[in-house]
Amino acid sequence: MVARDDAMTDRALHVSTPLPEPDVRRPLDLQLIAIGVAGGILSGLLGVGGGVVMVPLLVLWAGYRQRDAHAMSLGAIVPISVAGILTFGIAGRVHWLDAVALALGAVVGARLGAGLLVRIDERVLKILFGCFLVAAALAMAVRA
Amino acid sequence: MSSAALFIALAAFGLGTGAAAGLLGVGGGILMVPFLTLAVGLSQHAAEATSLVVVLPTAIVASVALRRRGVGDLGLALRFGLVGALGGAAGALLALALPAATLRVVFAAFLTVVGLRLVHDGVRA
Repeated sequence: MVARDDAMTDRALHVSTPLPEPDVRRPLDLQLIAIGVAGGILSGLLGVGGGVVMVPLLVLWAGYRQRDAHAMSLGAIVPISVAGILTFGIAGRVHWLDAVALALGAVVGARLGAGLLVRIDERVLKILFGCFLVAAALAMAVRA
Repeated sequence: MSSAALFIALAAFGLGTGAAAGLLGVGGGILMVPFLTLAVGLSQHAAEATSLVVVLPTAIVASVALRRRGVGDLGLALRFGLVGALGGAAGALLALALPAATLRVVFAAFLTVVGLRLVHDGVRA
């Protein structure tokens, strides 16, 4: 509780929080479970990762700061993507050479991106993510 | 394109996707699936399956790096993600029953509203 009050005070005072980050621990409650299920359902439904729905819910509903919401979303994507790989029984559909090539680049990129996430200004991150969502929406509307 | 050139192009695209995923807190499927269908020529299902296999190591590497820096709470994220994984199976069943085009339009509208709200919050903060 104390940690969340600190985070709210920071936001109210417009103070950019210095490292190290305040403690964000809280119990697994119904709100987080609902967010995980929303991410999982959407992932199964549309074949995209659940991140685009979990991050906004973690920020606007659960009250996480943008930076922590991104970290929480990435963690939740781990079991969700494992389930996706298993449930769809996709072994026959995966193009392994393409997957290996993409993954070799992606794991290096993921370290760079996570390193930037740790340092980036909270406001800039929020604006970047908002623009990313609008762009994703446009791409999705075109496909529909 | 030769297979070696394709491999290098895919690794380069993966680098960019991974960086975006690590920064934006997403898996990267939303970027990879269109690329795999449009540029590489995979079917929609093959692209989604291949993308999921890449999303897993991307999310693991980013999560471990962020845990080391004390951002977020990985243990809690894994637990609500595990519950969410069960929701994923329900989503897959629902997908068979509902028209995908309608879902995409509804979801696109959701993303637009939320995206504009976050940009607005960020600019005003």
